Amino acid sequence: MTLHVPLKVVVVGHGMVGSRLVDELVRRSAESFDITVLGAEPYEPYNRVLLSDVVAGRTDVAAITMPDPGGDHVTTLRGVAAVSVDRRARTVTDAAGAVHAYDRLVLATGSRARVLPLPGLVADDGTVNLPAGVHALRTLDDAREIVAASVNTPRAVVVGGGVLGVEAAYGLAGRGLQVTLVDPSPAPMSRQLDTAAGAVLAAGLRDAGVTLRLGARPSEVLVAGGRAVGVRLGPGRGGDGGTGHGGTGHDGGDAGDVVAAGLVVLTAGTVPETGIAREAGLSTDRGIVVGHDLACPDDPRVFAIGDCAQPPQGSRGLVAEGWDQARRLADHLASLVAVRAQEAQRAAAPREHLRFPHEGERPSMAVRLGTLLASRAATDQGVDTRGTDVVKVKAGALSIVSMGVSGPREPAPGHRAVALHDAAAGRYVEAVVADGILVGATCVGDPRVAADLTAAYTRRTPVPVDPAFLLLTPVMPSAEPASSPEHMPDDATVCRCNGVTKHDITACWDDGARSADDIAAATRATTGCGSCREAVCGLADWLAATRDGGAPVEPGAALVHASAGEG
Amino acid sequence: MSTTVAAPAAPQKTHCPYCALQCGMELTPAGTPGPDGRAPLPVTVAPRDFPTNAGGLCQKGWTSATVLGVPDRLTTPLVRGADGGLTAVTWDAALDLVVSRVRAVQAEHGRHGVAIFGGGGLTNEKAYALGKFARTVLRTPNIDYNGRFCMSSAAAAGNRAFGADRGLPFPLTDLGGADVVLLLGSNPAETMPPFVQHLAGARGRGGLMVVDPRRSATARLADDGQGVHLQPVPGTDMVVLLALLHVVVAEGLADRDYLAARTTGWDDVVRSVAAWWPERAETVCGIPAEELRATARRLAAAAPARGGRGAYVLTGRGVEQSAQGTATVTAAINLSLALGLVGREGSGYGCLTGQGNGQGGREHGQKNDQLPGYRKIDDPAARAHVAGVWGVDPATIPGPGLPAVALLGSLGTPGGPHALFVHGSNVLVSAPNADRVRERLAALELLVVCDVVPSETARMADVVLPVTQWAEEEGTMTSLEGRVIRRRQAVDPPGEARSELWLLAELARRLGSDVAFPTDPAVVFDELARASAGGVADYSGLSHARLDVAEEAGAPGLFWPCPAEPPGEPAHPGTPRMFLEEFATPDGRARMVPVDHAGPTDDVRDDAPTYLVTGRVLQHYQSGAQTRRVPELDRIVPEPYVELHPQLGLRTGVADGARVRVTSARGAVEAVARWTDTVRPDTVFMPFHWSGAGSVNRITSDAVDPISSMPEFKVCAVSVAPVPQMADDVGAHDAHDAHDAHDAQEVPA
Repeated sequence: MTLHVPLKVVVVGHGMVGSRLVDELVRRSAESFDITVLGAEPYEPYNRVLLSDVVAGRTDVAAITMPDPGGDHVTTLRGVAAVSVDRRARTVTDAAGAVHAYDRLVLATGSRARVLPLPGLVADDGTVNLPAGVHALRTLDDAREIVAASVNTPRAVVVGGGVLGVEAAYGLAGRGLQVTLVDPSPAPMSRQLDTAAGAVLAAGLRDAGVTLRLGARPSEVLVAGGRAVGVRLGPGRGGDGGTGHGGTGHDGGDAGDVVAAGLVVLTAGTVPETGIAREAGLSTDRGIVVGHDLACPDDPRVFAIGDCAQPPQGSRGLVAEGWDQARRLADHLASLVAVRAQEAQRAAAPREHLRFPHEGERPSMAVRLGTLLASRAATDQGVDTRGTDVVKVKAGALSIVSMGVSGPREPAPGHRAVALHDAAAGRYVEAVVADGILVGATCVGDPRVAADLTAAYTRRTPVPVDPAFLLLTPVMPSAEPASSPEHMPDDATVCRCNGVTKHDITACWDDGARSADDIAAATRATTGCGSCREAVCGLADWLAATRDGGAPVEPGAALVHASAGEG
Repeated sequence: MSTTVAAPAAPQKTHCPYCALQCGMELTPAGTPGPDGRAPLPVTVAPRDFPTNAGGLCQKGWTSATVLGVPDRLTTPLVRGADGGLTAVTWDAALDLVVSRVRAVQAEHGRHGVAIFGGGGLTNEKAYALGKFARTVLRTPNIDYNGRFCMSSAAAAGNRAFGADRGLPFPLTDLGGADVVLLLGSNPAETMPPFVQHLAGARGRGGLMVVDPRRSATARLADDGQGVHLQPVPGTDMVVLLALLHVVVAEGLADRDYLAARTTGWDDVVRSVAAWWPERAETVCGIPAEELRATARRLAAAAPARGGRGAYVLTGRGVEQSAQGTATVTAAINLSLALGLVGREGSGYGCLTGQGNGQGGREHGQKNDQLPGYRKIDDPAARAHVAGVWGVDPATIPGPGLPAVALLGSLGTPGGPHALFVHGSNVLVSAPNADRVRERLAALELLVVCDVVPSETARMADVVLPVTQWAEEEGTMTSLEGRVIRRRQAVDPPGEARSELWLLAELARRLGSDVAFPTDPAVVFDELARASAGGVADYSGLSHARLDVAEEAGAPGLFWPCPAEPPGEPAHPGTPRMFLEEFATPDGRARMVPVDHAGPTDDVRDDAPTYLVTGRVLQHYQSGAQTRRVPELDRIVPEPYVELHPQLGLRTGVADGARVRVTSARGAVEAVARWTDTVRPDTVFMPFHWSGAGSVNRITSDAVDPISSMPEFKVCAVSVAPVPQMADDVGAHDAHDAHDAHDAQEVPA
């Protein structure tokens, strides 16, 4: 029974974060909301993170479609962009001219690819006009076009050596293209990796067939007949591009030269989509400014989540952050509804609002959640977003992960960093520890250690006394299993199913057993799963060889004899 | 008083008293001296060739005869006297007392004020009679059983997806031909050793895949190229499954023809795994993305649609005893369906049932919401049919009652039960958050415990009734593969011990019921078979006699469903492989349901930064019931212990071999530390076969799955610390342990 008018929520943006918010709201209490979603793209929500896998040919496009929460309480308008917000009237106007009223507005407009202001891409008046063959990698259409283009051209240039650039370059190289990755820094992923880690990654990319042009910037995209034909490079960061020093730089060629390519992929970062917020008079900086509660400081009825948002702790543009924000905002909106519902219920009838499962029907999730939240101390400062800043590169056999405090940075007091630099084996691991907790790590080239570091980081499990143990998989080296009976320790278990040790078997031999079957009858070895049959036969052979034909020997003496006899 | 049928003197073909593998064994009555010069055992045990064990027995089975002669076997009814102690009385006195107290509780609290807690070790006949007794004599809705602790999540998921829940819907021996067997949360090398024989084929082809947070004995079977071991963070098995399915979808490995022809819901499931690409899954489950991909590819390559010899996905308690257990099993089922494995000879999904009659025990009416034949208690047609067999008005059959954890939690509370019968379960050791269970039991007005030894629960009881076990009784069990098999009597019950069938009939009569309760197991089975007719688990074509004849003819046991055929028709042959043509759903298609990972209810945090997982050791069974009383077993693993990684030991100051305290939000336990690198550094492991200071279920979580009500035994957050070395303390603990270890016993539960 709904005792209240549903909360009208308009969500602008139907990407990974906007659709996740709707899903979270519907899961909590669909009937409490009346949700309208405006999505500029014509598609169902899809997993943008996997677009680089689409480019790499590692995933079926059909596999990236995300759940599209529907039902009676959700109206989704695809291919309909939001145009403006009237905060006084609490309405959003869409591109088709329709006006949508809201109680709460959520901006999940995402971000767009940054297009470098290069000749060939941007006209003198600043308008972006990408020629054929030049693509950002931001939308499904982009990915499809890149895949189509990759069929028709043997060479590609990827502009921007961040995470997406590395993934795209690796993926296109895997398709057999000659790929050049251009980045102004001395090593790829310079935002996440320090020079040493970056060098290991660079070597891995080269092994995968990617040509690196580091310390270089594109100065122009060359266009012929409306199609891109190449990229002209100029010097990169600090103007040191052409010198090739440091060993991490160039794979030949001089800055100022031209790399021929029929496909140019722009992966030089993203820009939050803040236009609609700015025009509505909301504070924007790099993104739409929000507090820890994800609400705009100018208007508590308006929220921003995902790539478009700029929360106090900053944003890294990772989907885990956006999903965490969607979850938190859904909690908030559900509790808002729950509080309203409780008030309405109290007004309607003075009855107990909490019921327990065995006393009848379960109270709605919203009621339970509202109660839970109300019971918590109101600590809204400093939201715990741990674990949402793990950067894991999707590049097949190349394992690269970065999290928290790591990579290029100023030394921080109280932080202890340990590192393993094993360039020849393509491995680099750094772990940063503070107060017994892993606060950051980088791991290139060791997927098991990377997975362990991630688990320790996201869960804040305490680190070993000596954090250097974090640099290796925590499996103790063990001796090779005994290769022959005489080297087997006396207390070694031969038959697990029946708990029979080598000692038990030698003892029963001494009691008269003379074959594997005798041993089985006396000790029950081999009578469980039977896996130890071979070992028991081996022991019987050894015992027959070493004990029969001589005087009965002590177990210790038997070993001596045996090693002499079989050596 | 009824007489007990005298045991025959000839060797009897029966099955092991312990787990659901139900290894075939032959018992030869009397005479041979016991090991170590003890009194002669009443029978000698020899393994026999039966499909699940193929002539093998583990140490528990070999030594099972010892259990028949334990010194403190209950042989007479006991009643708590004025001095607070338990005193031997006659059956008449004990039953009169029970009847008068039950009537008093009913008068004060109503019929639902009396509850029953059953067990998955009881024979089919006993389980059936117990449900019937609850519904027709007590007329209480409140009956549930310890199978809620082991099978309920797999059952809920199986019923939802396939319309039926039979642990293995195929003969166990089918596993041998597969290229890949994927085991999740199961450790059969420890829990049912002869099972390992059936993995030989997959191991030989490098296809044993084990998902377990520990490098368990089973995980080590994958060493040396015989397979792979994935070692996820506890509580994240579901993420592994979602990621495997993601890879299947992303790389176009699904069996699309099968999905189109035999399932519904695939599109929604595809969307639901779009969010679990391997790199994201890695950050949650701790398994490298490329290992997840390789595993998915290997599994898919084994699928028949891709030219493989077959693949099986099998789940166990490690993934099921979770607040997301039903969802996790559903994820395993979705993966199996995506690859076209289910309902195809040589491939499939199954769950490895744990308790001896864990399968049959969940089919005949011990569950709170169920009637015999795996029927739903809120289905009017089912109520009418069963009421007809019972000779009662359908309207008198109560509706669904409380599931186990809620039932135990409500004991002695306003509106909850105030009298409880316990059969074949030692809830003080086997239920989660066990100290709370102790509180609730103490609040009862009447606790009646039927058992073979003075279990901890029995020691709290007002009335203890000695009942028959294993080789002392006739009946049937249903093994993990849904095969109905005969349990046969080889020895006479000791002293005054009686079957529950007799006990329930007596109570019914004394409580004034005119509902018939036959006491001959063969007759009870015939009634059970009629009651199950037309249900999902249809036994109506079976009888003790038919099972005996089949076994003599070399076909031991028959698989349900085995409906009665009309007169003149050939008997139904049983159903070794289910779902070959269609599923038991209304439209005949398997239902795929999207699920998502939520994580453990009690997850690690700063003051409890380590995961606790629990499990078994080879030498013990459940709470150690029989096994700790068998010297050969107890000697090998005499006490509980805590496995922890040396790095965790070094950090917390817990030395190898020292005593360690493990503390959760519910309390603390203490045991000996064992350093090992087979467990993740963020995880400790404890076996659960003991009571007392090291009884791990005192600190496990009683959060439950929202669908199955199964408790989250298998993962919770703890802190780990050394126990201060003070001589007096240590001595006190040891004494406490020894005392409890001696007393804490239970029948197969």
